[in-house]
Amino acid sequence: MASEIQDRPVTEKHMLEIADFIARYLSYMLGAGVHTSRVVRNSKRLGKALGVDVSIHTSQKTATLTVGSEELRLKDTRVIDIPAFPISFEWNADLSALSWAAHDHRMTLDEVRTKFDELTAKPGMNPVFVLFMVSLANASFCRLFGGDIWAMLVTFTATMIGFFTRQHLMKNKVNHYIVFIVSAFVASICASSALSLGIETAEIALATSVLYLVPGVPLINGLIDITDGHIQIGISRLVNAFMLIVCIAIGMSITLMMVKDSLL
Amino acid sequence: MIAVDILSDGLFAAVAAMGFGSISSPPMRAFPYIAVLAAVGHAARFCLMNFLGVDIASASLVAAFIIGTGSVFFGKKVFCPMTVLYIPALLPMVPGTYAYKTVFSLIMFFQEISSPGKGNEYLQEMIYNGAVSFSVLFMLAVGATVPVFLLREKANSMTRGSCFL
Repeated sequence: MASEIQDRPVTEKHMLEIADFIARYLSYMLGAGVHTSRVVRNSKRLGKALGVDVSIHTSQKTATLTVGSEELRLKDTRVIDIPAFPISFEWNADLSALSWAAHDHRMTLDEVRTKFDELTAKPGMNPVFVLFMVSLANASFCRLFGGDIWAMLVTFTATMIGFFTRQHLMKNKVNHYIVFIVSAFVASICASSALSLGIETAEIALATSVLYLVPGVPLINGLIDITDGHIQIGISRLVNAFMLIVCIAIGMSITLMMVKDSLL
Repeated sequence: MIAVDILSDGLFAAVAAMGFGSISSPPMRAFPYIAVLAAVGHAARFCLMNFLGVDIASASLVAAFIIGTGSVFFGKKVFCPMTVLYIPALLPMVPGTYAYKTVFSLIMFFQEISSPGKGNEYLQEMIYNGAVSFSVLFMLAVGATVPVFLLREKANSMTRGSCFL
């Protein structure tokens, strides 16, 4: 490591530029829902490739980054706000690959930065396509739990309306918890129409209709973080996921209160 | 008939995994592998539970372990970190009906809170369903994470040399 630092001399100004970039890199990764040990590992690798030492402390909404150079006997510490991006596995894969590319091909800061801007500017998935895929997924999910074809159809429609609501509320920057409560309520009230239609497996349709909301990524990330020793942020993630699950339950309870008589 | 059951179970699990995965926008190249992992994992759980009489929590642990191990090998092919492949593949195994029954029994418990006999019954049902959903969720996460520790070196250099940059 020492040799790599030496054959790429770093000036003070350059070091600050590197720190700026790494701060951005790590806030994007944390914001897009990457588990902590991967973010730390990647940022350290990127720092090493550019000729600086990197140490990171993370929490749910902010991260602290220290970039240092032994040669300059200089350290630069900053606190970074983590922006709330939608979860993106694509960024996870591409930005990880970028850190390896910087490491293996000895890219300069400008090259890495250009590539980073290119990767993060890629358009995401078409929301209409996602809407269709999610509805289809929830319908198959209903089948896995033993629902018949009519229950699947009801689930498909209910999910489509529920997810559409969620997409629109998210776009209007409504509070996260309210989004979850409202979309769970909308999806389950639509699915409860199965009861009045007299479908045999109506209860399964009702049960599955809200499952597209399950926060799988923070749940599993939280557990990975805890097992990796990042216990504080792991617990934060689990609490966050747990709160969202409670919100789903609240939204569904409102529907159940209304239709409970036809369920017994 | 049994073969048809297993195949359709895998097929629906694959569709469910791809759909739920698309919420977290994985790279397009990962979709086929997510589908394969989900199908194999869910079909494995289906077989364990229906033919060998394994309980749902242990069966989920085994299935999650299969998915986790598979994601190490597929991840190298498409240059994706393991989590990108296995989180969507695990989602079809979320114990939805149990979670629903937990919430439903809780509500019914409050409705019947003044009549001790019925209230007790609902409370018991809630604990039963809650325990199952919690254990299955926990087992899923643990089962898929174990291969990461067993194959540390391999799991941490998955995206090295990616040709998709």
